[in-house]
Amino acid sequence: MERDLLQEVLYAALGHGGDFADVFVEYRRVTGIGCEDGKVERVQSGVDAGAGVRVVFGDSTAYAYTNDLSREGLLKAAQVVAHATREGKKGLEIDLRRVHPVVEFVIEERPEEVPAEAKAEAVRAADRAARAVSGRVRQVMVTYGDVVQKVIMANSRGNYVEDERIRTRFTVQAVAAEGNVIQTGFEAVGAFSGFELLRRRPPEDVARAAARRADAQLDARPAPSGRMPVVLSHEAGGTMVHEACGHGLEADLVQKGLSVYAGRKGEQVAAASITVLDDPTIPDKYGSYRFDDEGVPARPVVLIKEGVLVDYLYDRLAASKDERASNGHGRRESYQHKPIPRMANTYIAPGRDDPEKIVREAKRGLLVKKMGGGQVNTTTGDFVFDVAEGYLIEDGDVGPLVRGATLTGNGPEVLRTVEMVGNDLGFTIGTCGKDGQGVPVSDAQPTLLVRELIVGGTTGRVERRGEPRIRRL
Amino acid sequence: MHQYDFLDIAATAVQRARKLGGDEVEAFLSFARELLVEVRDGAVETLKQAEDRGLGVRVIAGGRLGFAFTTDLSAGGLAEATGQAVENARQAAPDGYQRLPDPAGDYPELELEDPLIRTTPIEEKIELARRMEEAARAADRRVRIIETATYQDSETEVTVVNSRGLVATTRVTRCGLYVALVAGSGEEAYTGFALDYRLRYADLDPEALGREAAARAVCMLGARPVGTRRVPVVLDPYVAASFLGVLAPAFSAEAVQKGRSLFAGRLGQTVAAAGVTVIDDGALEGGVASGPFDGEGVPTRRKVLIDNGRLAGFLYHTYSAARDRVDSTGNAVRASFKSIPEVGTTNFYLEPGPYSPEELMADLQEGFYLTDVIGMHTANPISGDFSLGAAGLWISGGQPARPVRGVAVAGNLMELLRDVEGVGRDLRFFGSRGAPTVRVARLTVSGR
Repeated sequence: MERDLLQEVLYAALGHGGDFADVFVEYRRVTGIGCEDGKVERVQSGVDAGAGVRVVFGDSTAYAYTNDLSREGLLKAAQVVAHATREGKKGLEIDLRRVHPVVEFVIEERPEEVPAEAKAEAVRAADRAARAVSGRVRQVMVTYGDVVQKVIMANSRGNYVEDERIRTRFTVQAVAAEGNVIQTGFEAVGAFSGFELLRRRPPEDVARAAARRADAQLDARPAPSGRMPVVLSHEAGGTMVHEACGHGLEADLVQKGLSVYAGRKGEQVAAASITVLDDPTIPDKYGSYRFDDEGVPARPVVLIKEGVLVDYLYDRLAASKDERASNGHGRRESYQHKPIPRMANTYIAPGRDDPEKIVREAKRGLLVKKMGGGQVNTTTGDFVFDVAEGYLIEDGDVGPLVRGATLTGNGPEVLRTVEMVGNDLGFTIGTCGKDGQGVPVSDAQPTLLVRELIVGGTTGRVERRGEPRIRRL
Repeated sequence: MHQYDFLDIAATAVQRARKLGGDEVEAFLSFARELLVEVRDGAVETLKQAEDRGLGVRVIAGGRLGFAFTTDLSAGGLAEATGQAVENARQAAPDGYQRLPDPAGDYPELELEDPLIRTTPIEEKIELARRMEEAARAADRRVRIIETATYQDSETEVTVVNSRGLVATTRVTRCGLYVALVAGSGEEAYTGFALDYRLRYADLDPEALGREAAARAVCMLGARPVGTRRVPVVLDPYVAASFLGVLAPAFSAEAVQKGRSLFAGRLGQTVAAAGVTVIDDGALEGGVASGPFDGEGVPTRRKVLIDNGRLAGFLYHTYSAARDRVDSTGNAVRASFKSIPEVGTTNFYLEPGPYSPEELMADLQEGFYLTDVIGMHTANPISGDFSLGAAGLWISGGQPARPVRGVAVAGNLMELLRDVEGVGRDLRFFGSRGAPTVRVARLTVSGR
């Protein structure tokens, strides 16, 4: 796409004034393969191309998108936003200059150069490996997906950025059953990378992890319920930090007063052993990028340093409201959405404690080895997340596997009451949803000891005297 | 509404893919126009207008399924998408049940287009969002932040053409309002929301939604956890509809066939308490998910899934129907032109019962009126296990008495269905899902 055309589009968008305008052109090519019932059932691919044009005037945003990428189509979208613009400066001069990235990522095997047979074979291999784990594995669902997203971003400040994001994702869900009991196990890997992802973590490995989890859950006992100490293993991934504090540090929510962290910069908001960062520049992580979706070069951002709140996650709009620069966290799902402040790779920095010692010190409670999904109410900080693999801690040792547990707590409270921080770190991937937009993220933490969380289990029922033990379906 | 001849594009795509080796071919085209207005503190925060179009091509060759999509409707775009669909089919395993539907007899006649949605000026729609925001603020002075007051509408045209001679086209307009806010005094804060989506513009009631969101937030102020115990639980319509949403995939015949439905092997059996009747109706008058046909052109209709506690049927698309040698129920759902049709629900709801919400609480000495849950998406639709962050009002002496938050409720969906003690008459839809107030015999509430 011609730089001159984008300049013309920006001028047209600012035709009725405005403080800022940008255009986001996207060309996305995706491949997806799904296997279930031991068969490759779904092989799909496609091209989604379009552009979004935005004008910011005062506190308002006008946004239009189209998948007509002709000059007429783009100018029509620009006129739609110009028409919606009611105020703002006039006569902005635009001189587009290319911005270069601060980090580079290396893609070893571009997905479009990998034969479709190889992708289908990876999926089949995972299916076979999962089924071989146990005769109790009844169903296996494997998905492979890759995305090659080319973007061009230009704005009225004169920034012009061309970028390419390549992401690959591989997931396995296994269903194990015995009698009337059905349990599931899930494992996912994903990265800003090409097909080399599956050389680093073979499909069979991913499959076996999912199948073993489903199989083991069949013999697990119901989780206890009530308040108790909880050890979050590094392998559990960072759902807790993502939900418990990440969302509350997004500047738009902070500015609207919708975050428990609003107005608390410089205050001690967590235990002194807690440092939280978001770093999109880590190579090979699922949430990584060279530029955010507003053309701002990615950089690591320290959010909480030794317990003290030092920064929030900003996009351009939230940054201009606070009269500062964006720190490269304006992201969007696609050209169909306006950018908003988002996380990328969020993690709690490793500490000094030996993970085994942490379990000993906990004495009793729950050890979480794998977390599932989660959700947070950023206004109150209340969060909940699913425990996909959890063990009782009895007398300082890892005890039996339990199932059906969730953890409920309050983000700021948990971070204040972390008692030990391990010297390890483990990442998990996810798709984070906010305002109806999903973006790829990863998150991580070291092994942590939290003195008290609410474990929501179902033991209340099965342990009652005289009541029949009810098997779960 | 646009310059494309969808029937011509679809026919061209079908012919082309047939030539490339497709035994059966389907072209699905959609064009959508969308408006979104977000108002905050009386001013327009976001005004979004969009146009979106695309083509999805499904090919079956030698029993193998391939799919490709594109937003490029030029001759070149069509050639690439059809070529890719045929190419993708080569990688799939052969499956004798893969087939496309035959042309249908009659489609249900539905009123799906409201000219007011198209002709009402944007300024008036912005005013609707403003009125909703004002009503929320006026409802209680403790409402202190409006997160968003949103008006949304869309106009969609869909065309399905397949090589068996099926040709179907429809147009639908929809509109909706959504408000989210925070109420609080001092250090304390709680969120409230309300939403409503409709086929008719005149059915939107911004003031009622503003007041509802305010009431949801304000009633929670002063909330505290309770101790862990097992008590009767009353689900408000929103929470009941959320539970129903988790259950939805279990009604898919495909999920049953593949052993990932908790209803597998239960057809005809009692799976819920008497009084529980679950319906899916793609031809529901006024339903936001209504349409004359589903994602592959099969006519929609009403199905009773649970009939007074007895599991009465499953949802089918053409593929799953072929596997069970039955007819499709018109439940092939496509998220967009970018996806293969999957079995899904349309207007999906729990039929209302005889009781008022007050009657459902009147005889409870102690109980939990559940009005807010978080983490519903972590509930496991295969095992049925759920454990959720919960908030609501503690029932004492037959009435909601004091707000409770910071607790978890846990259980199993199948047990929940069997433990239903009463169904309210206050059915409400939240988008395409609906439920009345529901009373459940007991659930574990974990707290202090």
